[in-house]
Amino acid sequence: MRPLFLAPLGLLAALTTAPAQAEQFKCPRTGGSLTFGQEANINTLDQMTSNTISTRNIAMNIYESLMTRDDNNRPILELASSMTESPDRLAYTFKLRQGVTFHNGKKLTSADVVASFDRYAKVGNQRSTLDNVKAWEAPDAETFVITMKQVQPTFIEALSSFSVPIVIIPSENRDVPAQQLTNPIGTGPWSLVEAVPGSAVKLKRFDGYAPNTSFEQRTGFGGYKQACLDTVTFRIVTEPGARVAGLKTGELQAVEDLPPKAAADMKSDKDVTILPLKNWWIQIALPNTTNAPTDKLPVRQAIQAVIDAEEVMDAASDGNYQLNVGFQYPNQPSYTDAGKATYNQKDPARAKKLLTEAGYAGEPVVLLTNKDYPSMYNAALVMQQQLQAVGINAQMKVVDWPTSVQMMLNGTEGWNYFFTGYGTQPALGALATMQFFVMPNAAYKPPGGKDDPDVLAAWRGMNDEPTEQGRQAAFARMQTLVLERAYALPFGSYTKIQATRSNVSGYVPFRIPRMSNVWLNR
Amino acid sequence: MAGIILRRLLGAVPVMLIVSLLTFGMIHLIPGDPASAIAGMSATAEQIANIRHDLGLDEPLASQLIHWYANLLQGDLGRSLLLGQPVLEAAMRRLPITLALSAYALVLTLLIGIGSGIIAALRQNTWIDQLAMVLAMLGISLPNFYLGLLMIILFAVELRWLPTGGYVPLSQDPLGWLATSTMPAVSLALLLAGLLARITRSTMLEVLRQDYIRTARAKGLTEKHVVLKHALANALIPITTVVGIIVSLLISGSVVTETLFSIPGIGQLLTQAVLSRDYPMVQGGLLLTTALLVLVNIAVDVCYALLDPRVRYERG
Repeated sequence: MRPLFLAPLGLLAALTTAPAQAEQFKCPRTGGSLTFGQEANINTLDQMTSNTISTRNIAMNIYESLMTRDDNNRPILELASSMTESPDRLAYTFKLRQGVTFHNGKKLTSADVVASFDRYAKVGNQRSTLDNVKAWEAPDAETFVITMKQVQPTFIEALSSFSVPIVIIPSENRDVPAQQLTNPIGTGPWSLVEAVPGSAVKLKRFDGYAPNTSFEQRTGFGGYKQACLDTVTFRIVTEPGARVAGLKTGELQAVEDLPPKAAADMKSDKDVTILPLKNWWIQIALPNTTNAPTDKLPVRQAIQAVIDAEEVMDAASDGNYQLNVGFQYPNQPSYTDAGKATYNQKDPARAKKLLTEAGYAGEPVVLLTNKDYPSMYNAALVMQQQLQAVGINAQMKVVDWPTSVQMMLNGTEGWNYFFTGYGTQPALGALATMQFFVMPNAAYKPPGGKDDPDVLAAWRGMNDEPTEQGRQAAFARMQTLVLERAYALPFGSYTKIQATRSNVSGYVPFRIPRMSNVWLNR
Repeated sequence: MAGIILRRLLGAVPVMLIVSLLTFGMIHLIPGDPASAIAGMSATAEQIANIRHDLGLDEPLASQLIHWYANLLQGDLGRSLLLGQPVLEAAMRRLPITLALSAYALVLTLLIGIGSGIIAALRQNTWIDQLAMVLAMLGISLPNFYLGLLMIILFAVELRWLPTGGYVPLSQDPLGWLATSTMPAVSLALLLAGLLARITRSTMLEVLRQDYIRTARAKGLTEKHVVLKHALANALIPITTVVGIIVSLLISGSVVTETLFSIPGIGQLLTQAVLSRDYPMVQGGLLLTTALLVLVNIAVDVCYALLDPRVRYERG
C-alpha cells in the first residue's frame, strides 16, 4: 500500500500525513462582519447539483470534501487525514480526520461519506466521475474505501475537482432530491444563517470547526482554515455601478468583477485595494465543423489566420487580459504553448490564400453570440470586423445565453461560431478542459458526428498514460491537433478584478472568494 | 356592491385560464434551455443532460402541459427548476416585498402627483404651473434605472444619507426598511407622479370650470372647501382609473428597480426565471401576478362605485 498525503496532479508518490511543523495561522483579530458584493444571482446552495460560480462562491465556504485543490491546483486532502492507494491501483483507502463535526453538531463518520457519494451518484451534476468506481464502503467509522473497476490514473484529479465537488453532507440528507438541499449543512468554517435568493446569503463563524492541522495556512479551498470574522454576507449586487458605489461607501467590504474603468479611477483611493485576478477565463469561439463553410478546414484555418487576438481580447475584457496559447492558463504546471504557430497570426494574406484554395464564395459565416455576457458579444463584434476585412461574409446572430446554448446543443444549422468562455475547467487542469473536444460533449461538433481519430487517440493518452509526463505529452499533442485543425479559437485569458476596503486583511483573490483567514483591521 | 365584486371575480376565471395557457405556450416556444442556465457557462453535455433528466425536461411538451394543469387544479404551481422550492412558496416570499415597495411608491406618487397637479391647476399659467409641469415631464422622461443610479451617487456615495442597496424586511426593522426602500420607491414614484400630476392638472382644470364650482364660490364657500370637497371629489373619478393603471405599472416597473437596488422582490424573481427559462416559476409567477392585477382592477371598480353613485345604480 502507498500512503498519500499530498500529490502533484496524478503523480501518486508515497507521502505520509504529518502535523504541520511551522507555526499555524492565527487570526490577528477576530470579530466583525464583512459584506461581499457578488455579481451574479444564486439559485441554489445544493453544491452537488450546481456548476455555477455564484453557488460555488458561497457553498465552498460552507462545505468540504475528502480532497480538494491547493493554491497551485494540486490535489490535497481535506476531510481525510490520509489516503493510500492499493498496489494494484484499484482501491483508495481514506482515513477521516478526527474531531470533525457538521454544523448541526453531529460528528463526521465514514457513514456520512458513503451517504454523500450515494447522493452524488444519483443527482450530482458530474456523476460520471464515479462511472469507473465499482463500490465505495465504510469498513469502520473512520475509514472510507473506493474500489475501481479499472485502473484510472486520473481518478484523484477528478475526485479533487471543484467544478461540481463531492461535498460531504450528513447521512440524513442522502435522499434529498436534486436542487432541493435548501438547508446546507457542511463541515466548513462557515455555517448558513439565512439565504434570501436574489438578495443575500449570510454565513456565520462555525465555532465547532476543526481546522486541518496538517497545514499551516489556507491553500486553495483547503489547508488550515480559520474563520476570523463573526459573519460574512454575500450580497447580490448585479449592477456594476451599485457594486462600485457600495465599495466606495464601505457598505461592501469586498466585491468581485469591478469594471476596469472604476478600478482605474479607484487606484489612488487609499481606502480601497484593487486585486486583479489574472486568468479568470479563456475567451473562446467554437466552430461548427458540420455546417458550411466552416466544415472546410482551409476556411477555418483562414479565419484562424486573420484573427488579431489582442484586438479581440482588448474589446472583450476592456483591456484586462493576457495573451496565451491554448487551453491552460500560463501560471499552471500543465500549461503548454503547443500549437502556438496557429495563434494570433494577424495574417490577412495567408487567410485570403486559404480562402481561395477552399473555393470560398461569400457564404455567410454566422457568429452566434449573446449580450448576457458582454465579453462574448464584444469578442464576436471584433471578430466580425476582422473577418469582413478579408472578404468573409461574417454575420452576427445575437440571442440570449440560454438560446445560444440551445442552438449550439440542438443543431448544427444557423451558426458557424459559438462564443463562450472556459473558466473553471482550465483552472482544474488539462483533462477538465480537453473533454470539450471529444464526443459526446456539448460544444464539439465533429464532421459526420464522429470523433477525429487523432484527437481521440491523444485524449485517451491523456487519460490512460501511466505517468504524469506521458499524460502531459498527450495533452500537448491534443492541443496541437485541436488548434491546427481549428476546432477552437481561443483568444486569450481574461483578468477579473476584485477589490476590498483597505481595512480587510488576508483576502487573497482566488477563483472563489475564500472567507477563511480573512480579518478586519481597525 | 357584492354583485359587482362577484361578477368581476367570475369574469376573471377565463382571463386566468387564457393567461395560464399563453404563458405555458410562450415560455416553451422561446428557444433556450433551463438546464444550460442551471449548469452554468462551461458545463459539459453530460452535466446538461443530467439536469434535463432530473428535472423532467426531457418529457414531451403535451405531457408537461397536462402535468401542469393537473397540479394547478390541486393548487400546486409546481417547483422552481432553479430554486428547488415550490413556486407558490418562492413567490409568496417575494410578493410582500414588492407589494410593500409598491405601496410606498404609490403613497409618494399620490402625494407628489395629486398635490402638484392640484397646485398647478389652481395656479394655471403661472411660474408654479410651468415648474410643476416641467418637473413632471422630467420625471416621465428619465428612465428609473438612470434616476436610481443618480440617486445612489448623490444620496449614498456623496451625502451618505442612505445605503446603496440591500434590503431589510419591514417586520424586522421598520427604520432599516425605510432607509433601504426610500431610493427605490422615489425612483419608481417620480416616473408615475409626473404622469399623475399632468392628468390631475387637466382634470382639475376641467372640473374647476364647471357651473357647480362657480355656484359654490358664489355661495361664499372658502377656496379650500371648494377645491377639496367639490372639485377634487369629482376629479377623483378619472384619477382613480389612472391610479389603477399606476398600481399595475408600479408592480411591473419594480423589475428594474429591484435589480438595481438588490431587493428580492417578485419582479427580480420573474426576470431571473425568464432569463433562465425556469418554466414553472414563470408560469406560476405570472399567474399569481395576473391574479393580483385582476384584484387591483376589481378594487378600482369598487372605488368607482363608491365615488360615483351612478355606477352603483346602473349596475345594481
